[in-house]
Amino acid sequence: MLAFLRKNQIVLSSCSCLLLSLYIVNAAARGQLKNDPIGPILLWLLRPMQLGTHAVTGWFGDIQKEFGTLSGFKAENERLRTRIQQLEAERNRLLEAEATNRRLQQLLDFRAQLPPGSVTATIIANSASTWFQSCLLDKGSSDGVGKGMAAVTPLGVVGQVISTAARSAKVLLITDPNSGVDVLVQRTRARGIVSGSLEQKTIMKYVKRSEDIQVGDRLITTGLDGVFPKGLMVGTVTKVQRQNLGLFQYIELTPAVSLSQTEEVLVVKGETNQTKNEGSPANKIR
Amino acid sequence: MKLSLLFFAVGLILVHLQTTLLHLLPLGPIVPDFVLLLCVYWALYHPTVGAVLASFLLGYSVDVASSPILGLNAFAMSMVFLAVHLSSRSIWLHDPMSSAIVVLLASLVKGVTLALLSAVFLNAERFWIGAIPYIIIEALIAAALAPIVFALLRRGHSYVERFRVAA
Repeated sequence: MLAFLRKNQIVLSSCSCLLLSLYIVNAAARGQLKNDPIGPILLWLLRPMQLGTHAVTGWFGDIQKEFGTLSGFKAENERLRTRIQQLEAERNRLLEAEATNRRLQQLLDFRAQLPPGSVTATIIANSASTWFQSCLLDKGSSDGVGKGMAAVTPLGVVGQVISTAARSAKVLLITDPNSGVDVLVQRTRARGIVSGSLEQKTIMKYVKRSEDIQVGDRLITTGLDGVFPKGLMVGTVTKVQRQNLGLFQYIELTPAVSLSQTEEVLVVKGETNQTKNEGSPANKIR
Repeated sequence: MKLSLLFFAVGLILVHLQTTLLHLLPLGPIVPDFVLLLCVYWALYHPTVGAVLASFLLGYSVDVASSPILGLNAFAMSMVFLAVHLSSRSIWLHDPMSSAIVVLLASLVKGVTLALLSAVFLNAERFWIGAIPYIIIEALIAAALAPIVFALLRRGHSYVERFRVAA
């Protein structure tokens, strides 16, 4: 008997455990298991480990959460940076539009004072050569721009159209050595010709030694050259030199219009004496 | 007996792992059954009365920690131990694949036992239909883990045996 038990002890103990657990299941399912002596002990054994693991996983969870939050902040930061850049670009665009609007409004106001048929054009390119002072406009012969017309701004004279294409026109600036604008000194009405020089200076030529010219004098167009309307600002005298020999004075000036700061110009037809007379009140009466 | 106590202690750690860290694995509701692997290993390589009791207690621990009624896992684990022990008399495990097959079958036995007991004692209608996928997946996961876990247990077992001899 003992040998049988010893030989089958595992099977028998397993069957005992099966029966015991079946009894426990049955009793627990019927709600008859009032006292459970083993459960609390097992829970007591498991509890420290579970508390420890809970603390560790909680700690890791917190780290993960912090990391997630930091990642979120990073993403948010990136998003806000992009947004700031977009808004900055938008602001620049609006400021630019406002500035353009202001300039165009000034041109429009100025246009009203000029002879009819003037065209608003934008400078789209500057001179490609050091030797020549010119610029390219975005309007051409198909827009009514013709050779010999004047390019002006409310600040003063820019230059003269020297050639045109259908959709563009080239303007020779008054600072070019080959240009010439008939001017007079606003204060003394002394006349001369303004042109550029190879030394990159703008000078007034052919002013008699006897003429009273002072630094700061303003030069305006005479309107007699048939290119530029009368009374437009050309520049301000910055240097007057009377040489010992020669008939004329050496006069330097600063142009009224700085091409580097100019974006739009008005292209106008100059008033010849004939057209002036045609438009004069006397002619109208006639 | 000391070895069985050690077996039980390791089993308790595994129960603890099953109730905590293993839930973090991306396997949905399925938790790898390391306690089953331990019981199968013990039933195969160290079948003693102490191991039978330890299996029962480990199953009971799982019940205490997670079952709706006590005794379900204790019964299932005892059943697994008995089934593996009886079958181990006629099979000889010599490679990882065969251990995986035994674990697969043991896990299926456990799953079916649990489903049967639940159907009988919990009056869960159509419990089978819902349980079958879980039983199969759990068995496959246990079978996949079996070679590694058995290798680790074998190494630990031999280390303990050497320690005992030395002592």
